[in-house]
Amino acid sequence: MKAFEMKKSEKGRKKSFYKDMPYSKKRVLWGIIFLIPWALGILIFFLGPIVKTFYYSVFNMSLGTNGFTYEFVGLQNFKYALTIDPTYNQKVLEALADTVKNVPIQIFVSLFVAMLLNGDYKGKGFFRLVFFIPIILATGITDISIQDISLTEETSQTFVNTQAIMAIISNSGIPSAVINFITEFVNDIFEVITTAGVQMLIFLAGLQGISPSLYEVARIEGCSKFECFCKITLPMISPQILVCMVYSLADSFAKADISETISNTTFTNAQYGLGASMSAIYFLISILVILIATAIVSKGVFYYDK
Amino acid sequence: MISKFKNMNPLSVRKNAVNFLMSLFRYVILICLGFVIITPILSTLKEAITAQSALGMKNSVWIPSAVSLQSMTEAFLILDYWKALGYSLGNTAILAILQTLCAALAAYSFTRLRFKGSNLLFGLVIFTIIVPPQSIMLAQYISFRNFDIFGIIEAVTGSPLNLIGSPASIYILAATGMGVKGGLYIYILRQSFRQFPLSIEEAAYVDGAGFLKTFFKIVLPGISSSLLTVIVLSFVWNYADTYYMSLLSSTKLQLPLRMTQIQGNMRWAIMDIESLVPTNYVVEYESPYVQTAVASACALLTILPLLIMYMFVQKRFVQGVERSGLGGD
Repeated sequence: MKAFEMKKSEKGRKKSFYKDMPYSKKRVLWGIIFLIPWALGILIFFLGPIVKTFYYSVFNMSLGTNGFTYEFVGLQNFKYALTIDPTYNQKVLEALADTVKNVPIQIFVSLFVAMLLNGDYKGKGFFRLVFFIPIILATGITDISIQDISLTEETSQTFVNTQAIMAIISNSGIPSAVINFITEFVNDIFEVITTAGVQMLIFLAGLQGISPSLYEVARIEGCSKFECFCKITLPMISPQILVCMVYSLADSFAKADISETISNTTFTNAQYGLGASMSAIYFLISILVILIATAIVSKGVFYYDK
Repeated sequence: MISKFKNMNPLSVRKNAVNFLMSLFRYVILICLGFVIITPILSTLKEAITAQSALGMKNSVWIPSAVSLQSMTEAFLILDYWKALGYSLGNTAILAILQTLCAALAAYSFTRLRFKGSNLLFGLVIFTIIVPPQSIMLAQYISFRNFDIFGIIEAVTGSPLNLIGSPASIYILAATGMGVKGGLYIYILRQSFRQFPLSIEEAAYVDGAGFLKTFFKIVLPGISSSLLTVIVLSFVWNYADTYYMSLLSSTKLQLPLRMTQIQGNMRWAIMDIESLVPTNYVVEYESPYVQTAVASACALLTILPLLIMYMFVQKRFVQGVERSGLGGD
């Protein structure tokens, strides 16, 4: 009887699929609706292309009047890219070497600068304004300015005479390997600073998130500044170090020269299959490097709220 | 004064000295690095406003010995500045808004409207950040060459669309969150949605606001500072992007793209606009100094809109960065 009544009352009300849905299910429904644009993108323009890249890489493709014609060649493209192509190998190794060399420097410098920028001192607004400029003048455009500098360097006197300093250092008896590393570092400082904008931003936000009471307690207990850094700042900022590392690695791989080689092979020389196999190799290598680095670093990461 | 000195024990003197040295160290490093950042802009500016007859002189380093707007005028003409600027700003603004909207929707779903598999899908977002876009270049190109959504378009019109060369291709890419650094915006916004108090959303829902209304009227205004950060980042990266622009869209008007195309053959570029330059200037294109100067002027004109925009948003941008709680797990 009761069941019958309930049925009746349901019939009496205007039936609505959406309104009768429990709140938790509505959440899920809207969660899915909110994700639709992104999900379309990831399927059509990301996962699809990744699968297709691997698919293309085993074919010899040529563009005819009615689209592409495919000729199955197996792993020959990979073999060609790795053993016969004159520049590909070298470019991959260069990209790897650059990444391994630059990423630690980038993280170190950006953490260092973020720590200097953080805190209370006169003119902090001005310095932040200046140090965020590299983010605003992102990627391609700053390259133009760099080129301009190198072009004009011969025409105008350089601001600081580095040769004199170099002569002093090289006569001071420090091993030449150390000097080389330092001079290379100093020469790269412009590039490091201009590409480390986002990392700086991430670290600065992370540093701001550390509760001052932690430092206060440490100071009362008699910690020195260095101990504070090792025991508080580093662990608290370690999640950001991981994020920065992943970002820097990805950025470094995306910026490498190799993209030019791939695009030339693919579009200029119309060797679509070979280009795809080059892409596939590069894709695998970069993912592998990032995964390994993440696996190593994430062991040392400390999460405060977990 | 004397009593103050009397009260000082050697320890606190030492402490003060250390503090003074630390802050001195901070200023020295910050000023040096700030100098490194600002130098290229200043030297580009100097190069661009030096009179062409005074170029290459060794007696001026920072202040031009003679000022003239000739290089700037020529750069204006070469870039077709007003037209290119209008196009670039409009185009970039559309891209930035589409990207931010898509990223905000996705990020909100990942933080507050979670369902089974949300975490896995968020893993895919990280994956999109770390995959170099060049490695899927050809396949992405082909997916726009034969554009289709699961075969629907082919079923209706008989053949897939060719979107290469049309601006629609980059708009679609931006609107689906796959544009320039699309994954990063989702990541940033997810962090800020997490910090937004859940109780406010729940209150809005109890008071009868639907999910859409809660999102657009309550949550988005609530995280406006991070939203600004994301819009600014998206704007500058899309503005500077030459990769997708040259791969997918055939535009010649996007300023940075135009800039890189012109840069290699400055001589021809100056020759091209020779007849348009006001007659009181003597046009010179053989000298490498002049070519560099005009290239500098072009570069300056290209970054100028970004610098002006930064002047306006910098205060809120810096705050937004600090509050957005970037990073974390």
